[in-house]
Amino acid sequence: MELIVALGVIVFKVALLIAILLLLPLPLTWLERKIAGHMQQRMGPMRVGWHGLLQPVADGIKLLTKEDHIPAEADRFLFKLAPILALAPPFVVFAAIPFGETVSVLGNEITLYISNLNVALLFVFAVIGLEVYGVIFGGWAANSKYAVLGSLRTCAQMISYEIPMGFAVIGVVMLAQSMSLLDIVRAQTDVWNVVYQPIGFFVFFVAGLAEAQRIPFDLAEAEGDLGAGFHTEYSGIRFALFMVSEYVVMVLVSVLTVILFFGGWNGVLIPLPPLLWFLLKVAFFVYLFMWFRFTFPRYRYDQLMAIGWKVLLPLSLANIIISGVVFS
Amino acid sequence: MSRALDKAGRWIGWAFFADLANGLALTFGYMFSRPVTMQYPDKEKWLPYSRYRGHHFLKRDDEGEIKCVACELCARICPCDCIEVVPYEDEKGNRRPAKFEIDTARCLFCGLCEDACPADAIALGQQYEFSSFSSRDLVIGRDDLLAKPGKAMTGGGVVAARLNTERDVLVEASEPRGYNWWRNIRRK
Repeated sequence: MELIVALGVIVFKVALLIAILLLLPLPLTWLERKIAGHMQQRMGPMRVGWHGLLQPVADGIKLLTKEDHIPAEADRFLFKLAPILALAPPFVVFAAIPFGETVSVLGNEITLYISNLNVALLFVFAVIGLEVYGVIFGGWAANSKYAVLGSLRTCAQMISYEIPMGFAVIGVVMLAQSMSLLDIVRAQTDVWNVVYQPIGFFVFFVAGLAEAQRIPFDLAEAEGDLGAGFHTEYSGIRFALFMVSEYVVMVLVSVLTVILFFGGWNGVLIPLPPLLWFLLKVAFFVYLFMWFRFTFPRYRYDQLMAIGWKVLLPLSLANIIISGVVFS
Repeated sequence: MSRALDKAGRWIGWAFFADLANGLALTFGYMFSRPVTMQYPDKEKWLPYSRYRGHHFLKRDDEGEIKCVACELCARICPCDCIEVVPYEDEKGNRRPAKFEIDTARCLFCGLCEDACPADAIALGQQYEFSSFSSRDLVIGRDDLLAKPGKAMTGGGVVAARLNTERDVLVEASEPRGYNWWRNIRRK
């Protein structure tokens, strides 16, 4: 009986998480368009619903009813596989991410995470690394020069930026003496990691921007020079899957930044529920991503590589040495 | 000394991304400024200047009779030859237009017909929404011209467009000189 209850709780948590993550792009696209509009002294969507709140729903219906077009020369199997490969890893990563300690529902203590892996950080980076396959397959299978160029860029960009990103969190692991995300957050009860690890945070955040392929590092889908990059040939629901994965990765990078460097659900000064603190911090970083997008121009490709290898990599290595000397 | 300080300040600014922070501050400021968008045509509508030359209209005198005496001066002066007037004699013995057609597809809205008219019968109003799917619909006859709102009748206002979902949407008439396009534009 207890086993069934425990299983039921896990299934419910997984279903809830998937539902939230799948629906998350709806408010986020609305928010992004609103922020874009107001930063450019426009209004953004205004016509569908109150202040355009139903606009994402209308867009979703449009994408669902559009023709699902596959180019004649495309590799049909890979073409169909790619959006799923791009979508699955960010969802899988969320299995290892804690949103809080526990809440009591009907007298039962329910944990706010699906699993507390003791190698959660390794798992997260390993699975995020898989996301690049969706992008590469998508660009390759479409058999279009823009798509191939976009996926080539993504490939090089992901490899260049995953290294400093991985190095940047080593300082955090040193501080917490653990790779479990739960222990990392618990270690930050008094002081957030960003105080001890400002360089680590900087490197992680910039690399995260590149990992989520947001401006100023969105070379994979640079609208100006590549059409739409790796998803140039995608339409309808498959395109929507790519968009969903992009937004989920954006939220994922924000969540990771909050957990690793900004104390997770530990609040300061104002006593709020821990989950609310967590969500507020994540919302701030999501806003920061959008703010960056409508402020900065895109980096050139050689600049992107130079930043990755000549700035971020030495910085992250120096960070490891300094934290090793100071905290040992 | 101050030069060295300047240099040091610039270097510190560069190291801490002062230029990027400036850009972020600028966009953040713009985010809380008023948008310049005009929600045409269902929420807001441009109120033209009082001297704006829009759609023609024919005036009536105090007894409700058409003022036009069909002298055809407007047709003569029209630079693009878009007015056609055919006179007739009504029961009182006055010369009136039996046919008064303006081809607004050809009209260039110069207002010369208004200047030439000896009877103060034709004028250019402030209605500017009369696009159509067929150029034949743009030939406006006498009765339609009489029915068009004049400047005095609407107080310079704009009549509702065909696409309107909310009736009688007007820009606030507190700006008698017309819509101020620069109202919300930020200039340094």
